[in-house]
Amino acid sequence: MSIELFGLLVQASIYTVTISFVSIFIGFAIAILISGMLLTGRSLFVRPAQFFISFFRGVPLLVQLLLIYNLLPAVGLNVPSIVAAIIGLSLCTAAYQAENLRGGFASVPLGLVESAEMVGLTPRQIFRRIKVPIALRLTFPALVNEAILILKASSLVSVVGIVELTRMAQDLAGSTFLPLQIFASAGLIYLVINWVVALAGGLIESRLPGVAR
Amino acid sequence: MTKNSLLKGLVGAALLFGATISAHAADTLAAVKAAGTLKVGTETAFAPFDFIDAGKHVGLNVDLFDEIGKELGVKIEWVTLPWDGVFPALEAGKFDVVAGPATITKKRMERYRFTPPLAEATIAILKKAGDKTISKPEDIAGKKIGVGKATAQLDQLKEFSETLPTKVDIREYPAFTESYADLAAGRIAGVANSLPNIAFVAKQREGTFEVVLPPFGKKSYFGFIGLKDADHAPLMDAIDAAMLKIKADGRMATLQKKWFGASFDTPDAVKDPAF
Repeated sequence: MSIELFGLLVQASIYTVTISFVSIFIGFAIAILISGMLLTGRSLFVRPAQFFISFFRGVPLLVQLLLIYNLLPAVGLNVPSIVAAIIGLSLCTAAYQAENLRGGFASVPLGLVESAEMVGLTPRQIFRRIKVPIALRLTFPALVNEAILILKASSLVSVVGIVELTRMAQDLAGSTFLPLQIFASAGLIYLVINWVVALAGGLIESRLPGVAR
Repeated sequence: MTKNSLLKGLVGAALLFGATISAHAADTLAAVKAAGTLKVGTETAFAPFDFIDAGKHVGLNVDLFDEIGKELGVKIEWVTLPWDGVFPALEAGKFDVVAGPATITKKRMERYRFTPPLAEATIAILKKAGDKTISKPEDIAGKKIGVGKATAQLDQLKEFSETLPTKVDIREYPAFTESYADLAAGRIAGVANSLPNIAFVAKQREGTFEVVLPPFGKKSYFGFIGLKDADHAPLMDAIDAAMLKIKADGRMATLQKKWFGASFDTPDAVKDPAF
């Protein structure tokens, strides 16, 4: 396999990385909103949040992408492929991240909250200084995990017309008849990307407060 | 998640499905000219019409649409999807016309409008070079033959299979390139596709593949595909006129020679397809 073919795979992986990271950050912002709705405990907010999570966790990402791509034009929103891909990945990862955040907040030890109340902290201070740091700390490993999952799941966005790493590998394998070398290279590139993400995640995690070293 | 909210959600999704609001611009030709770009949908696994050569999208379609674009005074923007996703996306308005091309069939003509044909689509078999067990189309009886999913070639192969003493073991692939790869790897005995396609593949990979002649079944043709509604009529008329002009002044024959190695006659329109 030539350097030129490998270069094309690396170029395509830029799409993979860009779409994945943009989606993870947008997804995180939506997840904060959704988990916030869950935390209010009011059914007016909780019910839609629960529906959001059930829908985007319950429907396969492939179906979501095809729905977004083919359904939005019916309501007058004809978005380009790349936007459809980012919407699909963002909403899907938001559902998982919201559940992670909810789990994080639920795992904040009650004793800590009670102690904070004893020393006279207001509910708002308790939320900001006790609950948020602990919940974020507890959900961080799951967030890194989610980033890796989305990087791999991004191979599905080829169904809406984006030539990312997997699709480029398929195209090249089809035109060069070198499937083994090309898919091995694509696998290697995914491995390197995810290894970097895991490494960076580990570094950040070790700097978070309250970590046993 | 309560039953109630799930139900509401499902009803909402169903309503969205039903809402095929025709909010598009009334005249697609005017919209295309105003935007200065004609959006063309296709898959890139159908050599020599559309394929990837060292990472670049090339083929007869690319050259031909360049000419059509010149005639219409617009640029061409390509949207490439897996083949079974192309028709839903056309109906969703993701692009104005499908390059494909697709075999002109009765079933498709009921729903879509075809341009003048640009090539013959009669089906033939591609085998591994030196395979002595297949010397005529009938020899594929009982053998594993690959074909593209959701293609007219699949229908033609099925029909042919019915006429054989033992049925063909038909393997459906998402894209033809994958079936060629499996043929090269010896997982299947042959690939059924239209003659221009397999003739091109055999020429590209001399020593690996061979064409089994003659083609079988009824004569059919390839055309580009658009929507049948009134909104799209002016655009499709304009594309038809451009293609007939390109055919009349010999540019079509030049392109056919470039991509198929030979030019051939096609009718100006197919009114009553064989399939």
